[in-house]
Amino acid sequence: MNEWHVAAVVLISALVPCGWVCLRRSFAEGLVGVQLAGTLASLALVVLAEAEHRQPFGDLALVLAVLSFAGTLLFARFLEEDR
Amino acid sequence: MTIRDALVYALLGVGIGIELISCLGVLVMRGIYDRLHYVGPSTLGALLIATAIWAREGPSTISLKGTLLAAFLVVASPAVAHVTARAARLHEHGDWRPQRSEGIEVEEG
Repeated sequence: MNEWHVAAVVLISALVPCGWVCLRRSFAEGLVGVQLAGTLASLALVVLAEAEHRQPFGDLALVLAVLSFAGTLLFARFLEEDR
Repeated sequence: MTIRDALVYALLGVGIGIELISCLGVLVMRGIYDRLHYVGPSTLGALLIATAIWAREGPSTISLKGTLLAAFLVVASPAVAHVTARAARLHEHGDWRPQRSEGIEVEEG
């Protein structure tokens, strides 16, 4: 286990507070949690790719970042209409 | 430990630290707009982590993917923050513009 594995574990652990915000706070505040969780998960995947020297994890990180962006935009649209 | 290793550790450590501060800010702040302020620095953390990968690997496929990811986050993150804030305003007030009831001076156009 090298420093990159530790960094990946820290980033994945940081998803827990984001999940807590999503579960316990309002829809609007949860949206912020989802936004940060997408960034953290993408970074965790790219750090894992570096730790394991496995290129496909890097592809997953890029795809996740794009899908997370699209998903957050969609949730924001739902929030706009939910009034 | 070489200077390059020290640089990689420093960039990675500071990058992860910034991500943790972002996470802590989103957790402890009150209200969506305060929380939203703490999502911004996570982009800087992504840039530092991508730089750490470059410093360790040099030009390679994984460093290119890390850089692409950081570049995408730099472009997409402010846009998503804007859309989220706008959606929250619309959700709360029905209009994104400042309302008289909020006590904000509004210039008539």
